[in-house]
Amino acid sequence: MELIDQFVVTMLRSSTPIILAAVAGLFAIRAGVFHLGMEGLMLAGAFTAVAVGTVAGSVWIGLAAAIVVCLVLSVLYWILIDKFRADTVIAGLGLTALCVGGTAFLMQAIFNQRGSMQSSVRLPRPVSGVNDGLLAFVSELSVMTWVLPILVVLGWILLTRSHLGLQIAAVGEYPYGAEASGVNQSRVRLHAILITGVGCALAGAQLSVGDLSAFTENMTNGRGFIALAAMLFGARSPLYTALAGLFFGFADAFGILIQIRADGSIPRQFVLMAPFVITIVIVALSSSIGRRRRRF
Amino acid sequence: MGIALGCGGVTVSFDSVKALNDVSLTLESGKIHALLGQNGAGKTTLARFFSGLIKPDTGRLEINGREVEPGEVSEARAQGLEIVHQRFTLPPTFSVSDALELSATLKKGRAVFSTNTVAKSWGDEMQKAGIDASPFAKVGSLPIETVQSLEILRALSGNARILILDEPTALLSPGAIASLFERLRKLRADGVSLLVILHKLQEVLEIADTVTVLRDGRLVANPTPIENTSSSELSDLMIGGDGGPSVLQAQAAMSASGKARLVADSVTTASQKPGEPELTDATFVVRESEILGVAGVEGNGQRQLADLVCGFADLQDGKISLDGVDLSELSLAERRRIGIRIVPFDRMSEGASLATPLWENVITWRAEEFRKPHIPFLSVRAMKQRSREILGGLGVKFDSLEQSAMSLSGGNLQRLILARELENGVKLLVAAQPTRGLDFSATDFVLRCLEQLRNNGAAVIMMSSDLDELFDLSDRVIVLRGGRIAGEFQPPYDRQLVGDAMVGATR
Amino acid sequence: MNRVAANLLRFGVPVLASFLVCGLFFSLAGYDVWEVTLGILEGAVTGPGSFRQSLRWSIPMVLIALGFMISFRTGEFNIGGQGQLMLGGLGAVAVALIVPGPQLLILPLAILTGICAGALWSAIAGLLKLRYGADEVITTLMLNFIAVLFIQWVTVGPLRDEAVRGQTASTKRVDPSLRLTGGDGISPSMLVLVALAILVAWLIAERTPFGLKSRLVGANPVAAMWQGVPVKRIRLWAYLLAGGFAGLAGALEVLGPNGRLVTDATPTIGFTAIVVAIVGMSNVPGIVLAALLFGGLQASILFLPIVSDLPSSGLRIVEGLIAAIVTARFFHLRWRKKQAASVSE
Repeated sequence: MELIDQFVVTMLRSSTPIILAAVAGLFAIRAGVFHLGMEGLMLAGAFTAVAVGTVAGSVWIGLAAAIVVCLVLSVLYWILIDKFRADTVIAGLGLTALCVGGTAFLMQAIFNQRGSMQSSVRLPRPVSGVNDGLLAFVSELSVMTWVLPILVVLGWILLTRSHLGLQIAAVGEYPYGAEASGVNQSRVRLHAILITGVGCALAGAQLSVGDLSAFTENMTNGRGFIALAAMLFGARSPLYTALAGLFFGFADAFGILIQIRADGSIPRQFVLMAPFVITIVIVALSSSIGRRRRRF
Repeated sequence: MGIALGCGGVTVSFDSVKALNDVSLTLESGKIHALLGQNGAGKTTLARFFSGLIKPDTGRLEINGREVEPGEVSEARAQGLEIVHQRFTLPPTFSVSDALELSATLKKGRAVFSTNTVAKSWGDEMQKAGIDASPFAKVGSLPIETVQSLEILRALSGNARILILDEPTALLSPGAIASLFERLRKLRADGVSLLVILHKLQEVLEIADTVTVLRDGRLVANPTPIENTSSSELSDLMIGGDGGPSVLQAQAAMSASGKARLVADSVTTASQKPGEPELTDATFVVRESEILGVAGVEGNGQRQLADLVCGFADLQDGKISLDGVDLSELSLAERRRIGIRIVPFDRMSEGASLATPLWENVITWRAEEFRKPHIPFLSVRAMKQRSREILGGLGVKFDSLEQSAMSLSGGNLQRLILARELENGVKLLVAAQPTRGLDFSATDFVLRCLEQLRNNGAAVIMMSSDLDELFDLSDRVIVLRGGRIAGEFQPPYDRQLVGDAMVGATR
Repeated sequence: MNRVAANLLRFGVPVLASFLVCGLFFSLAGYDVWEVTLGILEGAVTGPGSFRQSLRWSIPMVLIALGFMISFRTGEFNIGGQGQLMLGGLGAVAVALIVPGPQLLILPLAILTGICAGALWSAIAGLLKLRYGADEVITTLMLNFIAVLFIQWVTVGPLRDEAVRGQTASTKRVDPSLRLTGGDGISPSMLVLVALAILVAWLIAERTPFGLKSRLVGANPVAAMWQGVPVKRIRLWAYLLAGGFAGLAGALEVLGPNGRLVTDATPTIGFTAIVVAIVGMSNVPGIVLAALLFGGLQASILFLPIVSDLPSSGLRIVEGLIAAIVTARFFHLRWRKKQAASVSE
């Protein structure tokens, strides 16, 4: 029983940031922006939440600062790809590299810490009081995991039941039609990228002040890219994407379980590989999925 | 009765070619006006000018009797003018109600909505307009005529009083055309003014109150009440009247006795271009020292014919051979090696690579011939040398071999393409719209090249929407309509008969 | 000549600007920029053995970048260099550890296996793209992750070195007789091999029908098709070559400085190589220069902490900034012009 509890908790913990980033990332990818900067934005969010949160002594101020930083970086990214027509992929990878370097640099420059720094604040854990009984095993989950369903539903409404969502989809899937019906494509892309930025900030903060209470160099460790895979795996629909994120968490937990059990019949790495392989297969089967290409 | 649309002295030019040349007209409101003309006559340009999508070089615009700043979409919209483009604007991946809601977004302001409510309100609108489709259906899964009715519904949803339709019948079946016309008449009864771009005479005669004819960017007939004109008169106006000035003084030499080069035997293609007819059961022969002219309204199988010769289209049925060699299994590279060459339809996107240096544009396809002796690597010097000769041979004007093709004028670029394609050993040349958009002297040059090629014994298939040059040059002319060969003509050509075969007119 | 100057302006200016912006940032943050600059120079060029270090890092960069260039010229955006590098390393190490035989036979075989392994890994993405239209950015990105996990498995599983009880898993060391270099990664044979590879890349790109045709395919595939150029076949070859060059880089890492296959030995080299290819204007001499620049930067990143209090991650910022802005078109601004006119039929 305990093993299963542990398994579920691990799955939820590792899928929360992925789902947050992936559902938010849907806005960008649906607007035709294949956003490889998400990894960097998550990292920036994680660092800012710890840094500002620790200095201000409030996790909420830290969270707000993380959002602001990610919004600013998103605007810069938008200016680069939309106004200066930079290649989305290269500029996105550049943004990520910038954030990897930037967070490590600032951590050392401001806090004189190398590798990692502790956070004095942490997101609340709503059921942390319970020590036994049915709810005991979820006491480790931060508030972000609890509001996650609400955020996913919110993303679903915005994407499929709002005019912004329609405009985003039109810009991404059929720019000709969007332009002909008078949609301001540039502005719609900005809005989409900003929403993605907010989601990445939350996802990053969940990693550093939700799940742990520390920031570590490059702590996102590819989760931003995994979120991209989850979007494609989830066929770019918000609910399926959330499920895909859950599946990535499942693979993670399963990998750990195998390691603990150490029976070695299936190596852990192959379990972790499965989601990527499936993503490739899905992308191959539905070739319409993809980024909009722009030469530079 | 008021004026719905008016313009004066409108000139629009793209790269020194005048798409519209000093056009002035006024259209009364509450009527259905037809705009008639061949491809490239300037119809779409005029429509886009009216709707504010194009800023003219000179000219003024009047909508609803009010002077409007030309080139401003929002201004035109504010006056109640909407345009239904030839290419649909509703995203094919959207559901019908989402697609309609998308453009309504900009007028109303519900930020978040319920799919059911929106679908219901659009469903009601659709029912009122007599459109039989579920608001939940994907736009892309609907028949073309339904999507088109939805486009019209979309355009009217913002209380449009003037509606421009750009070739609405091009892709429709006869039954769908009838119900479209029904719809247009109903709109007229509701007081909407309509400007409909058409290129089929029958349709004009059936639906329009007045007809305006454009040819080569000029107005050749002011808005004329339909009862004062006739099918044959319009055909003459559209296609160029009785003769007109001939571009070339060449005589078409009769050489029906020559050896058959390209033989197509009841060929049916499977090129699968949406909305375009396949070449169907086509049998034709092109002989050596012969120019076969292909006439027809664009989109009636010309692309498929070129695809057939190049091997881009699968053969569904029939046989095709060059000098007795079966072509069906050969790639284009192999076909080129045995002497098939092509001047593609669009010289900017298909004929040449604009970002590529001149010499690479003419030599790349045959780079293998420039290997150095004994080592497998190319001699760039030899390639450049040869490129210079090839370009010089047809008098392409350039400063440096390294300059990109983008820097060439239209006529010069076409010379480059011809220079590349006419290099040694041409047995069959397909020239697709080789003179489109060129000025007089460049056109003349292209035609003389084709003529000389014919005189040297090659077979030439020439597709053109300019009947004058087709007649001047061709030893025979076939007409494509709906993917079928709708007629074959020998000189002396009867312009009216050819024109009738193209548009399906009867006298 | 004109074009070279324009390209220098287009790609050189962002590089310079990135250094300047970061310098300004560092000095505002209270660091001694002069000292940092000297530190970078010392780490990359002037210090003892530092130029060797720069060269050592330039080698994988230049190889992967040349591969990226070849596929990029055909219009394919193969960002899988990292994974192809790792597979190349695996191929080489597997041969070096398992196959017995004389050095003269095994060394070339190991290198060749590395090249083939990289090429095959890249061909997966190529086939999926050309047959099913699967976007190569996505597939190569995913293949990078799969490669990392696969190498992890290999190094903790089948090829694990039991003797090492460290944090990073690795394979056994390859026999010294099969090593091209010592730990510093530079030796005459290594340099000759790399120079040869550069020459081959240049010949392929500039002096073969494939190279010429790939340029046409990349610039305008439709025009290439009308001229009878087999667009898909050219692109598939581009995938194979790109993977081959990255695989070679991986093999040389294993047979050179690393001496064994280590998980996460060079996690960002594949990405840096893409930046190198773009900064190098997608031509061979430019890429060699850019690789030297970024190799120097990499060497400085490792060296800087010794002489300056500027965190070495500061130089990562420079690299990221260059990548972020290098493809932007700052010189011809077109703010919303002719937007309406592009609604065209």
